[in-house]
Amino acid sequence: MAQRAVWLISHEPRTALCGTVRFSRRYPTVEKRARVFNGASYVSIPEDGPFLKALLFELRLLDDDKDFVESRDSCSRINKTSIYGLPIGGEELWPVVAFLKSGMIYACVPLVEQTLSPRPPLISISGISQGFELLFGIQDFLYSGQKNDTELSTKLSQLPDLLLQACPFGTILDANLQNSLDNVHFASVTQPQKQPAWKAGTYKGKPQVSISITEKVKSMQYDKQDIADTWQVVGTVTCKCDLEGIMPNVTISLSLPTNGSPLQDVLVHPCVTSLDSAILTSSSIDAMDDSAFSGPYKFPFTPPLESFNLCYYTSQVPVPPILGFYQVKEEEIQLRITVNLKLHESVKNNFEFCEAHLPFYNRGPITHLEYKVSFGQLEVFREKSLLVWIIGQKFPKSMEISLSGTVTFGARSHEKQPFDPICIGGTAYLKLHFRILDYTLTGCYADQHSVQVFASGKPKISAHRKLISSDYYIWNSKAPAPVTYG
Amino acid sequence: MGPLSREAWAQRLAAFRASPSAFMAGPEGEDLGRDLLSDLRSEKLSEQTKVSLLVLSLEYPVQLWPDAPAAEVAATSLLDTLVLLPPRLSALRRLLLLAATTALAAGGALGPTSGASCRLLPLLLGLASGSDLGPGFGPTSEQRSLQATACECLRELESCKPGLLGGALGLLRGLLGQAGPVQPLSLLLALALRNTLVVQSRAGAGLRGLLMAGVSPTRDGPWDWTLVEEGDAHLQPQAPSWPAAEEGERRLAAREPSPEEARELRAAVAQLLDTTYLLTPVAQAQLLWLLGWALRGLQGQPPALFKPQLVRLLGTAQLTLLHAVLALKAAFGEALFTVQDEALLLRRLTLAAQHPALPLPTHLFYLHCLLSFPENWPLGPEGEEAAPLLLRPQLCHGLLPSLLHEPMALLARLHLLCLLCAEDEEEEEKGLVQSPRGSLEELMASLQQRAALDGGPRALATLCFQASYLVAHCLAGQPTVLTPLIHGLTQLYRARPVLAPHFVDLLDQVVPELGEPLRVLLRQEVVSRPGRDEALRWHLQMLAKVADGSAQSATLSFLQAAAAHCTGWDLQQALLRVCRALLHVGGGDGLADLLQALARQLEDPDGRDHARLYYILLAHLAGPKLGVALAPSLTAPALASSLVAENQGFAAALMVQEAPAPIRLSMGPREIKGPLPVLQLQVEALEPIYSLELRFRVEGQIYAPLEAVHMPCLCPGRPARPLLLPLQPRRPAPAWLDVHALYTTPTGLTCHARLPPLSVNFSDLFLPFPHPPEGAGPGFFEELWHSCLPEGTESRVWCPLGPQGLEHLVSHHLEPFVVVAQPPTSYCIAIRLPPNSRLLLRLEATQGDGAPVALRTDDWAVLPLAGDYLRRLSAAV
Repeated sequence: MAQRAVWLISHEPRTALCGTVRFSRRYPTVEKRARVFNGASYVSIPEDGPFLKALLFELRLLDDDKDFVESRDSCSRINKTSIYGLPIGGEELWPVVAFLKSGMIYACVPLVEQTLSPRPPLISISGISQGFELLFGIQDFLYSGQKNDTELSTKLSQLPDLLLQACPFGTILDANLQNSLDNVHFASVTQPQKQPAWKAGTYKGKPQVSISITEKVKSMQYDKQDIADTWQVVGTVTCKCDLEGIMPNVTISLSLPTNGSPLQDVLVHPCVTSLDSAILTSSSIDAMDDSAFSGPYKFPFTPPLESFNLCYYTSQVPVPPILGFYQVKEEEIQLRITVNLKLHESVKNNFEFCEAHLPFYNRGPITHLEYKVSFGQLEVFREKSLLVWIIGQKFPKSMEISLSGTVTFGARSHEKQPFDPICIGGTAYLKLHFRILDYTLTGCYADQHSVQVFASGKPKISAHRKLISSDYYIWNSKAPAPVTYG
Repeated sequence: MGPLSREAWAQRLAAFRASPSAFMAGPEGEDLGRDLLSDLRSEKLSEQTKVSLLVLSLEYPVQLWPDAPAAEVAATSLLDTLVLLPPRLSALRRLLLLAATTALAAGGALGPTSGASCRLLPLLLGLASGSDLGPGFGPTSEQRSLQATACECLRELESCKPGLLGGALGLLRGLLGQAGPVQPLSLLLALALRNTLVVQSRAGAGLRGLLMAGVSPTRDGPWDWTLVEEGDAHLQPQAPSWPAAEEGERRLAAREPSPEEARELRAAVAQLLDTTYLLTPVAQAQLLWLLGWALRGLQGQPPALFKPQLVRLLGTAQLTLLHAVLALKAAFGEALFTVQDEALLLRRLTLAAQHPALPLPTHLFYLHCLLSFPENWPLGPEGEEAAPLLLRPQLCHGLLPSLLHEPMALLARLHLLCLLCAEDEEEEEKGLVQSPRGSLEELMASLQQRAALDGGPRALATLCFQASYLVAHCLAGQPTVLTPLIHGLTQLYRARPVLAPHFVDLLDQVVPELGEPLRVLLRQEVVSRPGRDEALRWHLQMLAKVADGSAQSATLSFLQAAAAHCTGWDLQQALLRVCRALLHVGGGDGLADLLQALARQLEDPDGRDHARLYYILLAHLAGPKLGVALAPSLTAPALASSLVAENQGFAAALMVQEAPAPIRLSMGPREIKGPLPVLQLQVEALEPIYSLELRFRVEGQIYAPLEAVHMPCLCPGRPARPLLLPLQPRRPAPAWLDVHALYTTPTGLTCHARLPPLSVNFSDLFLPFPHPPEGAGPGFFEELWHSCLPEGTESRVWCPLGPQGLEHLVSHHLEPFVVVAQPPTSYCIAIRLPPNSRLLLRLEATQGDGAPVALRTDDWAVLPLAGDYLRRLSAAV
């Protein structure tokens, strides 16, 4: 379950190497075991230079993909997980856990405690999930609250010390690196017994509990007979509990109004101590029936010091908040577009903002536009071939708005207008961006009175809610559109 | 040399990190390890610099101290430095412990004979148990963190030398129950317990004693190394927890503990499990893997102890925790998971594989877990990815692939979809919006459409071909799936011939169910559209792959038309590669015409030469031979191309190879027939050969040149007809025949072998005179006898006889030549010796052990040969 080495590599397209190793750490005692366990199939950990090159090639992150290269492009080289075999010096280093996120490549090589030939199934290697967790932990640390490159550099410079705490010998002790950072600071405090390892110290101060529910709604609307529209709500409940004592117990109940949509696919934070089996079994992969559990959803837990995601859920609301259609017709040199959006009456008509983005891919810049909107205003980004319809804070009384017009495009230049592999021919979409505060689509809320805290002092309890759009697409109904399921 | 400055060290460390191997090979490499150890004690260097030195040693001890003695010296020095630290709070204390541990474990110095080991181990155990080691080990505020560090160090040492802490199990249990830091102690105890179970199952040590021992005897006395084996023996077989991975391995601790041992063990495991919630999620997962390993295969240890943890774990989103649950599932199966539990776990896994709150790598790993799910009662072959039985298509609705997915997610989901389609072949679709096969077809069509996009990135094309490969691989037996796929791919080629390399690759990799029909369609596609555009290069590349013997006229007319547009060297080579492919499958008249035309018409001399070479090959070699000559050779040139390079490929196939003899020849029984002496040869094949030609050469030209003998084929074990070899002697004398064999091997190579020479004896040349009429024998013989003189000669020889006498000698050796016989006492023998000599013998039996032989011949040269023959004959008798 140990790691042989860890790397952080920044992906830098259009530079000589296409990347730089920002951090690497090897674990020689684990390497020693790897040599014994792997026997004849042992491949040593390469130095940073060769590793960088091999990894970027394998992840297809080198700029050069002009020619067919069999070792990369062959149809039988299929990777279905983020775990790779890297050809290095005539041998293959495997398994390399690696993924790219926000321009940074996170990579590690877990120890496999047996021979590598034949390759054991990934599921049987404990180090794989440990490696992922370590990399996710590093990612969370680097990007939590980070705003610019300077902050990133600062955090990168803290990484060696943090890993010395969180993973001194290659076996990871805590994936929450922030916790390790706090641990360093708390080190001088004499800790009482039974202190949880995930809690660096204890809170001293005014007790308070903050609960915030964020729902993201995504949708795919086609306005077609043969394809069903889909929409889904994904909720995240975030908590910050500032409570005194080593192990304060808290129970939070999420409730639904009478006609609320049941919560499904609930995933909880490891600090949740028990879970009602009705919550555990309520899942979107089963057909819904009226007897579905509809709460209250009780989550007893012992909170960590930091803000954490108590649970995630999904829900299938009966209607999408905004229903619309989008029609694009090609007329000689121009496109005739028609958009119609309707806000459902049950939805709170009070947006922080609401916009519809209409991108036109694989075409030239917009050269001419004639349009009519029933509400809001339209902004044109000619070079980006993008229209943004700013709807504002409220839909009109009718709850229904429309946009129609014709767009003409100039000649396409490959550098400026983005290529899109989906929007081919007539395939096009508009994407809605909106946010509604103090509202959830499921109706889900945390009743402040139902929050139970077993700790000294009566805490102040605050609760927040918001709904935001995410991947909310309305596809041109006059052309083929990619279908998603579920 | 005095200590280096902070800046000098910073530079040196940076240079080392840039490329450790280059640095160590350089002038400073040798001293680095030594300087590092000495400068750690320097008072001039800041603590921060020392920290960076120690951090380097944690990562590269093997480079700094490459062998065990060096590692021992380093660890000793690090421990000395630790003791010398002033009693105030210091960041170095923890690092020195880590560094000494790393140096010993990575350097292979850890062992009972190592002084540093014997200092470090009691020190670590003392720190771990929270004993007061005096002010030298820092202020009490630092003790707590050192206690945890000591546990980590011990855990690492135990990992590298299983059984090391076998003697400290009781102590660790006691500590966990009291005030120790929970996580480090739990993990250490779990690892030591697991390892001890492995070791004691072999060593037969009493587990109970180990678990119960209150205080470790190692505090003051020497360390107990009894459970540690020399070398890395214990590291080998402890890995398995997965049934598939355990094939052929000894099950861990397959023994039954005594009731007391079992009770004690259960108590220890329960103690560990009870406090798991205090551990970080990753540590919880480690604990579960270790305890799963430990208890697996131990009889009388119901895994129900894990049950209370499962519901809590199943609810989490943590990758490590769900993975650990799957490990428990694999380890204990039905004993821990009922059918309902299994169904629930599968559902949680299915939803985790698509949960929008989880990142893509997690989804992909869960998808892998789903297809490798450790079922209670698996049906399929082990080790192969398959959809679990309980995973009905309805449950997978959300896992279907869509164009909007990332390539890896798309392929992983497509694989699942293919598996569902394979299972679903017979079944009626129930209640699904769309059948799996319908979704598959639609997705493949969209992928092809995207790949066909002009100027699109190569990754899109690659994805389309990977998906096609996956579908063909999983659904090879389903024409309803393959047919539309093949047509779609053909259309893709029509739209974007530039993808020809992908097609060639696909045809190389894919199963014949897809490859063969696709090849035919692609050939039709290429030859049906005369190319004079940019795509010609791709068409030719494609055609070189798909051209075969059928419909050659269309291919040839395409090539003829194309030849006019092949102006550059590369295009001409591409054209010739197609010709070569056609040659390979046998060629034909049209091809000969084309090659002749190309040999005249092509602009490039290299191209013309190639065409001429191909023409010559086509005209001179039979079909199969041509195939062999053009087959890819191992010495295939990496050069761009040229006749010379290509010739290397041909050379082996076209030249006659020297080989060891593939047959054995021996002389068969003599048969006298016709006017010439005839040798009867027996042939025995040692390997299968074809078109054998045997060539004979007579040494000294004593006989007329011999005709070669041909045999169409020979196989070992199959009897061959004897070969008859007529001799035309120019002189009646024995001779040696040189024998050479020329033949073709089953692989089509032509070989030459020299066989051992055959000896033709004097007697092999004997021919009888025509038989005189009944009763005229004596007169005939007398006439011959007299006619020999005066040109000839006469001689007398004493011929010793064996017990069977004269009659035996004559009947066995001279029977065909007897003219007058008065058995058993007198024989007259007349022998014709081609070309025109005679040898006459009169044999008379006497009472003794021999017979006088009178012999006459008309050829002086025969006389010594005849004498030798008779002497040999009598010796043989």
